[in-house]
This record gives sequence, structure tokens and C-alpha cells, in this order.
Amino acid sequence: MPPDGPSATEADPSSLFANYDRGGFFDEVFDADDQVRPHYAALLAGLDRFTPEDLVRRARIRDAAFRSQGITFTVYDEGEGIERTFPMDLLPRIVPADEWQHIEDGLVQRVTALNSFLDDLYVGERAAIHDGIIPTWLVETSDGFNREAFGIPVPLGARCLVAGVDLVRDGEGTYRVLEDNLRNPSGVSYVIENRVAMTRVLPTVFANQQIRSVDHYGRSLLNALNRVAPPASGDQPTVVVLTPGVFNSAYFEHVFLASQMGVELVEGRDLVVDDHVVSMRTTQGLKRVDVIYRRIDDAFLDPVVFRSDSTLGVPGLMAAARAGNVTIANAVGNGVADDKAVYAYVPELIRYYLGEEPILPNVETYLLWDEDQRAEVLDRLDELVVKPVAEAGGYGIVIGPAASDAELEECRANIEADPRNYIAQEVVSLSRHPSLVEDHLEGRHIDLRPFVLSGGDIEVIPGGLTRVAMRRGSLVVNSSQGGGSKDTWVLAKGVELVVEAEDESTEVESSAIDVEELS
Amino acid sequence: MRLDIRYRTTFTYENLVRESQNELRACPRSDENQELISYRLQTWPVSKVFAFTDYWGTRVDAFGIRLPHVSLEVVAESSVETFQRPLLTVAPHLESLRDPSFISAHHEYLLRSPHASWGRGIEAEAVRQRELVGDDVVSLILALHRVTGARITYARGATEVGIEVEEVLSQGKGVCQDYAHLAVAMCRSQGIPARYVSGYLFTRDDSVGADVTDGDVVEVQTHAWFEAAVPGFGWLALDPTNQKEVGVRHVKIGHGRDYDDVQPLRGVFCGSSSPTVEPRVEIRRLRTNVSPVFERHVRDPQMEHQQQQ
Amino acid sequence: MLARDAESLFWTGRYLERAEDTARLLDVTYHGLLETSPAEEAQAWSDVLAAVRLGQVFADGRRPITAATVSEYLVFDPKNAGSILSAVEQARENARTVREQLSTELWESLNSFCLELRGRNLRADLEYQPHELYGMVRRQCQTVAGVAAETMARDEGWRFFVLGWNLERAEMSCRLLSVRYRQLSPSAFHQWMNTLRSASGLEAYRRSYRASMDPADVVEFLLLSRTFPRSVLFSLRTAENALGHLALDGELTRPLRQLGRLRSGLEFADVRELLQGDLGEELHLVEEGIRQVAASVATQYFSNSREFDLHSLHLMPGEGGIR
Repeated sequence: MPPDGPSATEADPSSLFANYDRGGFFDEVFDADDQVRPHYAALLAGLDRFTPEDLVRRARIRDAAFRSQGITFTVYDEGEGIERTFPMDLLPRIVPADEWQHIEDGLVQRVTALNSFLDDLYVGERAAIHDGIIPTWLVETSDGFNREAFGIPVPLGARCLVAGVDLVRDGEGTYRVLEDNLRNPSGVSYVIENRVAMTRVLPTVFANQQIRSVDHYGRSLLNALNRVAPPASGDQPTVVVLTPGVFNSAYFEHVFLASQMGVELVEGRDLVVDDHVVSMRTTQGLKRVDVIYRRIDDAFLDPVVFRSDSTLGVPGLMAAARAGNVTIANAVGNGVADDKAVYAYVPELIRYYLGEEPILPNVETYLLWDEDQRAEVLDRLDELVVKPVAEAGGYGIVIGPAASDAELEECRANIEADPRNYIAQEVVSLSRHPSLVEDHLEGRHIDLRPFVLSGGDIEVIPGGLTRVAMRRGSLVVNSSQGGGSKDTWVLAKGVELVVEAEDESTEVESSAIDVEELS
Repeated sequence: MRLDIRYRTTFTYENLVRESQNELRACPRSDENQELISYRLQTWPVSKVFAFTDYWGTRVDAFGIRLPHVSLEVVAESSVETFQRPLLTVAPHLESLRDPSFISAHHEYLLRSPHASWGRGIEAEAVRQRELVGDDVVSLILALHRVTGARITYARGATEVGIEVEEVLSQGKGVCQDYAHLAVAMCRSQGIPARYVSGYLFTRDDSVGADVTDGDVVEVQTHAWFEAAVPGFGWLALDPTNQKEVGVRHVKIGHGRDYDDVQPLRGVFCGSSSPTVEPRVEIRRLRTNVSPVFERHVRDPQMEHQQQQ
Repeated sequence: MLARDAESLFWTGRYLERAEDTARLLDVTYHGLLETSPAEEAQAWSDVLAAVRLGQVFADGRRPITAATVSEYLVFDPKNAGSILSAVEQARENARTVREQLSTELWESLNSFCLELRGRNLRADLEYQPHELYGMVRRQCQTVAGVAAETMARDEGWRFFVLGWNLERAEMSCRLLSVRYRQLSPSAFHQWMNTLRSASGLEAYRRSYRASMDPADVVEFLLLSRTFPRSVLFSLRTAENALGHLALDGELTRPLRQLGRLRSGLEFADVRELLQGDLGEELHLVEEGIRQVAASVATQYFSNSREFDLHSLHLMPGEGGIR
């Protein structure tokens, strides 16, 4: 059914887009000729009836709703915890069906290869190392390489039960993998909550379209967890979510996931290991646990084997896993595969384990322990991005073009002192997406974190978390450093986004009801 | 030599302990230099033991106790046959340490580890030895082994777990694991792969390591020594605490980068007081009629040669 | 449900009730003293300390027992874990760990109560407007209880909350009586009235007993009334009902048996017989009985919690001793 609004090639940007500047970047909404991309036409038509003030008001409603529901994360500053909402920008990011298919195929391929590599490393022959695909020392010196996981099998080899693969789009619009997150990827709760929020504050833009839903995540996650249960656990394995507790910045997400799956949320002190079997302490006595979806880092999981000062873990847990009485998901030791240095070898691992060409390319990466590559990098330090292998969350990164001379000198010194701890990458001109800034739209850099579930078959949740760098010109999208997010829409195959002209006045009234409800 | 080893540790707590989860590494391994004949572990209170082999090839016994208790006793009994070690017949030069495949094969034992990390003091001493012995790997290893013994006096209570090995060197005192860590650090500082070994020594006094001439039973503690990799040969085992080559009176439990990888016992307990610990190792030598020489003559030409004279 | 969550809800209920009862007791005492002689003041405040079982804190004589010292101690002294401020903080802490099992409204009402209390200058309140402070505390506690009753599903968590709440209430009513029961002369009229006020029961009492302030009637009302929510018997019956719902398949658990025995002892008691006998001893036994029930509840439902810290154990070669 043809859209009622302006056609794709003739759409005039509404007053929202007045003075919108693509800025020479790949823009998700506007192509190189400043024309609206076809898959955004209907959205823009739907937004046409809103003034900037309308959108600002709706954004405030959304903020209030998130706050009162406690959809927050905690930023710790000098010991004090400050609860922040993760701001959601009202303009959704839209991915057409064929683009998504490409992304999905690439993700399935990549996670399959990573699972194979990890399984081979911890319980297999370490073939990729023996055949020289990846150097031994690289694996052995990786912080994430966990010798305590050696010999512990994981059912179906599904070590990356939940993977968050960060994708960016370069200046040509090619999707590239920026980083793999295979230990404790977070953010899926925002994916679901953002969708709910959008349906409440901008319901009209959803009318008559087919956007693939995301609210089945809880069911899919539970299925995957059930499938990796130890063979002896029977038809109804007991699954729990293990959280470090209320002081963890992602606690809200732990609560959310446990509730979506209908399973208990436990802390280390609720679990006990007896004769190498894990149970939880309930009001009716001890109840056996078969699968633990743990949101605790390896180092804190078991004080017998890891950090002995950890009160977050469960003494004897690793022995229970080794004895085959409980499955820990994500598996212990995944950090070796999301190590920034190992990242550079993932395309080779795909070729080696699957015999296929990688569908999603990496960002061009230079390994600084290679003399030639290092020399070249040091020559072009002001043009490249340098990342320490061991840091997470976006910390410690030096972005050449934006760094001062002093920062570049420090960076050079660090590299020369410890070349094995650094990689360098070309600066990717991240794509931008129109985002609401005060009362108008400006382009902001975005990335995409799709969530991939392994449990025999690999399932990718349609869309994922689009993160937005909220500060003008910034490339940093992490929540802990002031990023925001967008609802991400994947269009169903064969259908275009369609919006019917509706009576706006009724929408205004229902929004007013929302305001009263929420204030 | 055929040895029966009875490793026994008792923990006594002042107040009731509700829970205890542990990993024991007390079982001798089987390798080219020794064969494990039997092994049995018992605990009081009784517990279910789960045994596995860890990353370093050491047998681990994992057990937990969830009954309230005031004492925990662990008894591990093993029977092992040790063999003469092969003689060193190679004399590689220092440059063979830089061979990429040698480095790659021993990479884990070349890096600093928490208890075997060197600084200026150790480096200086190691370099001094290197200048003295010249271009010979084995001589350097032996020199580092000797100087470790020379620089440290055996003394209990002078060091603690977690002490920096540089401090051990400057203090000049330590127990067997300190000797082992120091020797390992010195070797690594010169590019010689070295690993820490945990085991038992059949002797009356660990700190001296003398042969037992007046009987067949001794009571000691667990012991520690080190092994250094020699290009073209394998691992050379030396006991820096008693300045001896590791031989048939040494029984190896396992090795690792340092003490952390092969702790005899590690665990946690849930209670309010620290326990008093009484560890004890009884070793009994069995004199057997069958000479091990006949089974081992291929490995031990020296011994056979002596026999024939 | 998780043992730890059940325990948190149980204690949320206990601490909330404790805060409210303490506020009421202080309010009544403070205003009751406006009508009595100065000589009776010290005694009245001693009675307050006795009612909350904190008399020994002042026993060393370093602090005089006055309105100011006792009020401060019971309202905000950081050394007093049973102070109103402390009790409200603990109620909130316990609720926070099980927040996802509470309704949003319940969490928000408890949270804002705690924030309001923290934000006040309590010392100034006690000096200039104690009644306003105590009134605020009572109102807020009642609001939270009301929100809980209206928004919580009657599941296991709710039962533990009700259990804690009512065991605390029963214990407090019992103690109010033990402080007073010896004063059987007619001149103790005012004290008995204050006791009733402390339990918010004066009006309800008058509807049943008119103007009589016969100690026997007051004891009967506060101990044995089947209709007044703060009577010991009523609270115990509510607690027993909650415990009954928690037992699986009609099992007679230990706490249920103990509570049943305690409650039925009161159910069939006759106040004249009690007064002829040793009432003090009876009250003491009831209070002890309530404590035993609370202990049995913990053993039955919250047991095996990791009470002690974990210590690590290492053993080195060549050394005897733990590092």
C-alpha cells in the first residue's frame, strides 16, 4: 500500500530538519544527495505533524517514565552512587530487511567461529594455535585467558551464550565490527524498554507498519539457557540469574532479565555448593540449580579458585561446573576471545574454523608488536586511534586527530614501553543519525550493538542497542561516559513503513493522560 | 626409589566453622622421572572428593564440608617410584635461548609472575653470574642455583606469602619456596625459562636435604624447588634450598609459574576464627628386591655402566 | 522464595512497626507529663526505657534520665540501633534488597519517608515541635502499611512482611503492659490512660469499657481483645494466619506450633485469674514466647544464611601455619 505521505524522492524535510547538516558523514537518513533514504520516508512523514516543542515535551515524558520506573544505571563518583537514566533519543534508527539479513548472517558466522575457537582452546586441541593462525603467546598473555577454565566442557560448545558485537558504519556505509563483547555484554534491557517507551510517547509513528518485535528476548534467552543445562538436569532445569547486588551499575538489567524469564535473581550468598552440586537457599530448604546466568566477572566467581577476597561469588562453584553438575553462562574464560589483540585475528579464525570469508569485516587494525606495523603507526599517530588491549568501557583510548601534542607523546612512550599492550586502528568515520538536540535535530555519531544468543542454534535479536554520542562531535557512545540510545527498528521483509494520516487531536489527548499518569 | 608418602594436615578452629571448600594438590604426578603407583585421600569430617587434572597437569582434589566442625583433617597417602634422572649431555650456548620456537614453547615460563618477578637487584646479580660463567646455558643455570643458596639463609618466619622476591634477596632469609622463587626469577631475568615445583623430599631436614642413612621413615613438610629449561635437553631440576640436584629422593607433585599455580592447599572457610594448622608429611622408603635398574637401563646408562664394573 | 528475600521482608515489617510504636510511646509520654507532677517525670521516662528494653544503657548513671536524653536516644542516637531513625533506615535497606518484589508505590513511599526523616533537623524538632515529628513518623508508617496492604499480592513475600510486622506489634503491646501492671492503685489512673494512648487504643477502649480505668479492664483490652488490632491476641492471630499460609500442605511447622500454643493460651485466658496469679510472670512468658516464635521462624525459613565472613586458607611448603 503506497504511503499517504510524500514519496521517498520528493519528501521535504520538515521544519525539524531545517538547517540539518550531514557534515560529510554517512548519514542514516539522508543519502549523498541529501535525499531521504526510502526506508525513512514514512517515519519522516509521520514526524511531519510534530513541532520541535512537541518532541521535546514527549522526550521529557519519556525521561520521567524511565526515572520513576527505575530504569537507571548507577554512576559511581567518589563512592557516591548517582542514578542516571540512559537518555533515549526519540528518533528511531531504522534498518531495512536486506541490510539486516547481511548483518545477521555476519553475526551468526562470527559468533560460531568464536565459540569454536574458545571450545578448541579450553577443551580441544588448540588447533588454531598449533596451525599458526594465532600466536601462542598472544593467547597465553591475554588477561582473559583463564587457566581455571581449562578442561571444563560447556554443553553444545555454547560458550558465548550472550554476545554483544559492536558494529559501526564507515564513511561508505559498510558495517564493520568494532569490538566483540563476550563476557558480560549489557544493554539489552534498554533495547526492550526503549521500544516500550517509543510506543507510548510516539505511538503514531508505529501505525500500520511491520517492525520486528524484540519483546521475545526473555523467552529466547531462557530457551538458550535451558539448552545448555547439564544433561542430568532433566526437562525443567532450574535457571538463576546471579547478580553482584544492588550496588552494581547494571543491577536494573539483572532484575529485568530475571523477571522477563520468570527465574530467581540471586546473589552469591544465596547459593551454596554441597558435594559439588549448587543449590539456592529458599524458604523451603535447598533447591538445586542447574544453570547460572552470571553477571559477575570471572575473577569474583569463586573465592576458592579466583580472588579469595570476593564475597560476591560461590565457594566451590568451579568444582561443581567441572563435575558437570552446573553450567555457568557465559562460560568462564571468554575474555581471551574479546581481547582487543585477538580481535585482529578473528577474520582468520573465521576462515580457519568455518572455511568461509568473513561477511562483516573488522575495522582496519594494526598490531603494535609487529615491528613494521609499529613503525608505520608511530609515524601516523595523529591520524589513528590507539587502544590499550586491557581496558574496557572506552577508557584509555587516544584518538589521534583529537589529541594534543602532549597526549600523543605520552601515547608514543606507552607504546614503546609495552608494545604488546596496544593496537591501533584507522579512525572510522562513524555514521551519523539525526537526533533531537534541544529543539532541533542535529547529526550525532551512532553505533549498533546487536545481541546474539547461542544455544545450539544461534539467534540474533532484531536490531539491538543503537548508542548515540550525545556531545556534538564526540565519538564516544558508552553509557558511563555520557552516551544515549535510540530505539532500533528492523523492518520485516517485503513491507514498507506506512503511516496513515490520523486525527492528531486524539493523540494529543492520550499523551496528556500519559503526562498526568507519569508526573 | 620406592617411597610411601603420608601427607596429613589438621586444621583446628577456636569456634565452629560452618562451611569449608578446598582444593588439595598433594598427589605425586607420573612423568619421565617418577611413577605414581597408588593414591588415596580421606578427610574428617568425611567429604565427597572430586578429582581432576588442572592446566599444569597436576592432580587436584576438590572437596567441601558443610557440617559444622571445629577441626578438619586431610590425609593423602600415595605410593610412588622415582627414577634416576638422565644425565645432561648437551652444552648449548646462550644464543640458543633466543631461538623463536624455543621461546614460543616455553613462553609462559619466561614472563614475570606474581611471586617470581625481578627488579634491579635480581637482574644485577644474575648478570654478574652470567659474566662469570661465559657463554654456556647449563653453567649459568647452575651458577644461579648456587648463588641463590649463597645469598639466602634458611630461616622460618622471616618471610610471608606475597613477599616480593626482590625483598627476599635483600633480606637474605627465607624458606624453600623463597629459594625456589628467587632461582626462578634469576633464570627468567636472563631469558632462561624456569618453573616452580612443589613436592616432597625424603630427608630428615628439608633445609639441608641430607640423605637418610639411619632408617626408612622421616617426618617433614612439603618442599619446593625449581626446574630450568635447557635447549635441546628438557627441564633441569635443581633444589636451591639444599644446593643439590633433584634426584630419586625428590617426589614431584606438580609445577607452575610460581607458588600460586601449585599451592598444596587452598580454600575458604566460613567462620570467625583463624585455625591453627598442623601439617605433617611422613615418608617411608620401601626397600624392594627388584632393582629398578633393570626396568630403567635405557634411561640410565651411567648407572648401568657402574653396575658392570 | 529465596530465604534471604523472605528475611528482608520480615525485617522490613518489624522495623516499620518498631519505628511507629516508638514514636507513639514517646509522643504519649511527652504529652502525658504535661499533666503530671515533676516527681513522676523521671519515673515516666524510666518506664519508656523499660518498655523498649533499653534501660541498661542509662544504668551506669553517666546520663540523667530526662525527657531530652531519652528522646534523643530513642529518636536519632547513632549508637542506638533501635532508634526511630535507625529503624526507618533499616526498613528501607531491607526493602531495597527486595525492591523488585515490592510494588513501585510501596518502594517509593518507604523511600520518600526515609529521605524526609534524614532531611530533618531532629534535634531542633525534639526541642520545638516533638509532637509534629512524632505525628509525621506515625502517619508515614501508617501510609507505608496502607500502601503495602493495597498494592502487594498476597504471596509468600506478603506473608513474611505481615508476620514480622505483627510479631513486633504483639511484643510491644506486651511490654507496655509489663511496665504498667504493678500500678494497681486508683491514683495510677493517668498512667493507665497513657498506656492505652501509647497503643492508640483509648477511644476503642472507651467504646467497650466506657469511663472505667480499672486496670483489669485495660489489661483485658490490650492483652485479650479480639477486635482491637493492637492487642496482643489480635496481633498473634494475624501472625498465626500468615504462618499458616506459609506452611506447605497444612504442615504443622515448629513456629506454627509454638505460636498456636501461645495464642490459644491467651484465647482462653481470664483476666481476673491472671490478676490473682502472677501477672508479671505471665506477661514475661508471653514476651518470651513471642521471641521464641521469631527464632523458630528464622530457623525454619531463613536458616543456612552465610552469617560469617569467608576466610581464605593457604598452605605453603616448608611452613606450618596459615598466612
